[in-house]
Amino acid sequence: MTVKTKRVFIPGCSLPSYNPEAVKRTLEYLQEKLPGTGAILKCCGKPTKALGQVDKFKERYSQFQAEVDKLGAEEIIVACQSCYMTMSEYSPNQKVTSLWQLLPEIGLPKEAIGKGKDSDIVFAIHDSCPTRNVKSIHDGIRWIMNELGYKVEEPPHTRENTRCCGFGGMVVPANPELALRVMKRRTSEMKSDYVVAYCAACRESMVKGGKKAVHILDLIFGETWNSKSEFPGVPGSPVTSWANRYKSKKNINKVLK
Amino acid sequence: MKKITYPKQVLDKMQDIVDNCMGDAPPYCQATCPMHTDVKGYVNLIGEGKHKEAINLIREKLFLPATLGRICAHPCEEKCKREEAFRQPMAIAALKRFAADNYDDKKDWNLTIEVEKPQKIAVIGAGPAGAQAALDLRRKGYKVTVFERLQVVGGMMRVGIPEYRLPRHIIDHEYSLLKDIGVEFKMGVEIGKDISFESLKNDFDAVIIAVGAHKGVVIPIPGHDLNGVLNAVDFLREVSLTRKYDIGKKIAVIGGGNVAIDVARSARRVGAEEVHLVCLESRPEMPAHDWEIEEAEEEGIILHDGFGPVKIVGNNGKVSGFEIKKCVSVFDEDGKFNPKYDENVKKILDVDNVVFAVGQAVDNSFDQEGDLETIRGGKFKVDPITLQTKIENVFVAGDASGRSVIAIEAMAEGRKAAISVDRFFNNQDMLEDREYEGAYETWLETDLKEDDIDIPRIKTTQRDPKERVKSFEEVDLGFTEEQAINEASRCLKCECKLCMKECEMLGDYCECPKDLFENILKTGEVDPIIPYSCNMCSQCTIACPKDFEIKDRFMDIRKLMIKANDGKSPIKGHGAIEVHQALGFSKLFNTARPAKK
Repeated sequence: MTVKTKRVFIPGCSLPSYNPEAVKRTLEYLQEKLPGTGAILKCCGKPTKALGQVDKFKERYSQFQAEVDKLGAEEIIVACQSCYMTMSEYSPNQKVTSLWQLLPEIGLPKEAIGKGKDSDIVFAIHDSCPTRNVKSIHDGIRWIMNELGYKVEEPPHTRENTRCCGFGGMVVPANPELALRVMKRRTSEMKSDYVVAYCAACRESMVKGGKKAVHILDLIFGETWNSKSEFPGVPGSPVTSWANRYKSKKNINKVLK
Repeated sequence: MKKITYPKQVLDKMQDIVDNCMGDAPPYCQATCPMHTDVKGYVNLIGEGKHKEAINLIREKLFLPATLGRICAHPCEEKCKREEAFRQPMAIAALKRFAADNYDDKKDWNLTIEVEKPQKIAVIGAGPAGAQAALDLRRKGYKVTVFERLQVVGGMMRVGIPEYRLPRHIIDHEYSLLKDIGVEFKMGVEIGKDISFESLKNDFDAVIIAVGAHKGVVIPIPGHDLNGVLNAVDFLREVSLTRKYDIGKKIAVIGGGNVAIDVARSARRVGAEEVHLVCLESRPEMPAHDWEIEEAEEEGIILHDGFGPVKIVGNNGKVSGFEIKKCVSVFDEDGKFNPKYDENVKKILDVDNVVFAVGQAVDNSFDQEGDLETIRGGKFKVDPITLQTKIENVFVAGDASGRSVIAIEAMAEGRKAAISVDRFFNNQDMLEDREYEGAYETWLETDLKEDDIDIPRIKTTQRDPKERVKSFEEVDLGFTEEQAINEASRCLKCECKLCMKECEMLGDYCECPKDLFENILKTGEVDPIIPYSCNMCSQCTIACPKDFEIKDRFMDIRKLMIKANDGKSPIKGHGAIEVHQALGFSKLFNTARPAKK
């Protein structure tokens, strides 16, 4: 007997390239809470869209959509804010839900609750700019941080008024010097040395901007982070990222064997 | 990459930004100044202690900085954002005076002129309108002769505005620029008497009439023809030229404007001990500036605001009193001048003189043939855009056309007339592109920022009222350097450019979005690095008072560049994305798994 794939978890590109373990643990947790959840590891084509490659994006997105339709999913659960925006626009037949909207509904894994309450550090929250107008995502992130018990700082530009991390618009490969300035300007307005982001690309920008930064899934599934912790840096080479992506694929296949 | 052809809908959206972006909008002060002095520029230079640079910047627009720093009615200050928000406008004129008094150096004056041209221009009148017209035309290389009826230059600044507000040597010093640059002056020559207007028209290629309004007006109320009834214009001229006037100990002035105040205060200095100022308006409605009224009161002037004349009482043909009655309203419901009185409230002032300061008319008697059309007050009728009269080479500038009231407006009219004369000589379109001459409304809209708090205006120091009424020495002592720097530092530096403050990339490529898109529309070209440096984050749109979606404009351009470049990004660094995309869609890195059984 086959269980119907009601929904599909789409970790995106940057998260699987950053933390395959978090992909695995998220998917496992979703299995526990929401049986009937499949997964797709595939790019949605947003980078082509960002470059202005209209035709190529259409082609790429239709390939992606075909995978969703093949599984018959009615709901897409995303962990990436660009995915959220792109899929909300181009997959009208699916309900698109952000993981950060979903977690407040299903709750955090029990072992995560209160994990950060004794930590000696404060995390400045960096909101992703594509979803600046999606208040429920901002609220979800604050809810998660509160459940975890970590202390947070709201930078002067936050939520709907958040500033770009510097990665957006494919500027990094085009104008790296400018992108670095944008990154540094964003980090310079945060008092804390520690930042929590909920996009792996944003997280990397925060590190380039001089902060110690984690992805919020690092907080949910990792150990307690404090001033003694060793914080993740930036990938040494693209090979590391692709190796992670490959591990993420394997992890997905393992969970959904 | 092939050349891009922009579709109309893409161009229209860029044009919308060009048309409505406020990035290049002048600040309120500068747009309001009829001469468009770069107020924000020089005020902030003073704030930075760069006083020398400040005076040089002022001199780019004004040849009378020390004069205007004293007597300009500064409409700019009325439009200052600090006035609107806190009723504490920047002391713009006083700052100008500070820079001019202490840092103006004749050696730095710009004496350059364009190549000499054959045409000759006659300017009648050496007031601010005539002088500005003369200067501008001389700079163009024309031969300019100024005819002045008096032996002194300055017009109403010289014989209307009292010496205690504007020492005369300042006028002479600043006017010396005109002589140095080659403007010829014929002093003490009256057109219509010494030289006919007719011959002037024949001997010169163009004539600019800038005779001002030097004819006093007396309202024909009962007793107006008594001995001792005076008009402000004649009184002030006489006092200005001689520092004397044979006036009684007790006098009344009728009028509520700055001229009435000048008369009252001058009268104190030529021997009047009791000076009554009578005006129809209640004090807050008086046309005179608040500070002028205050200064007059400090000097003992007795104000009868809200009173109108009944009659001048005489004794043996000479003024012996002035009967006045309560005025309850000056204007009617339609806004027309139509004073209403309360006949039950009357006073009689015991005075020896009554001076009318109720307006000035133009002495147009030099046009003996009546060649030119005139309107109310003897003013000359002109085309409002060109200042041309019905005689094509005769123009009118300043109070003589009734289009200016204050010195800086007269100067702007002089400049306008000069532009017209130059166009006339060159057979150019007389009407084109003239909407931004003189004061105009800026298209800037700004709000106070959070940290823009009320900091009170710094007042200049004034001489003791008891001392100052004894002579014509200057009343206002101006700013010290410390005061000037502190005052200048209050400037809110009004501009839009909110997106420029928010966006890191725009500043690398333009002054403001208007500048950027104007250039694209004009040339049809844009360096690909510009659209591809946008983070697409919308912060500019959030900051923009017009909500311009600038990222969408950049995306439009990106799409067109991709089309023009065979589907590929024109940016070299984007080659890496191609590789990433290929991998991101490859089987090796993709998986799609249904839900677990």
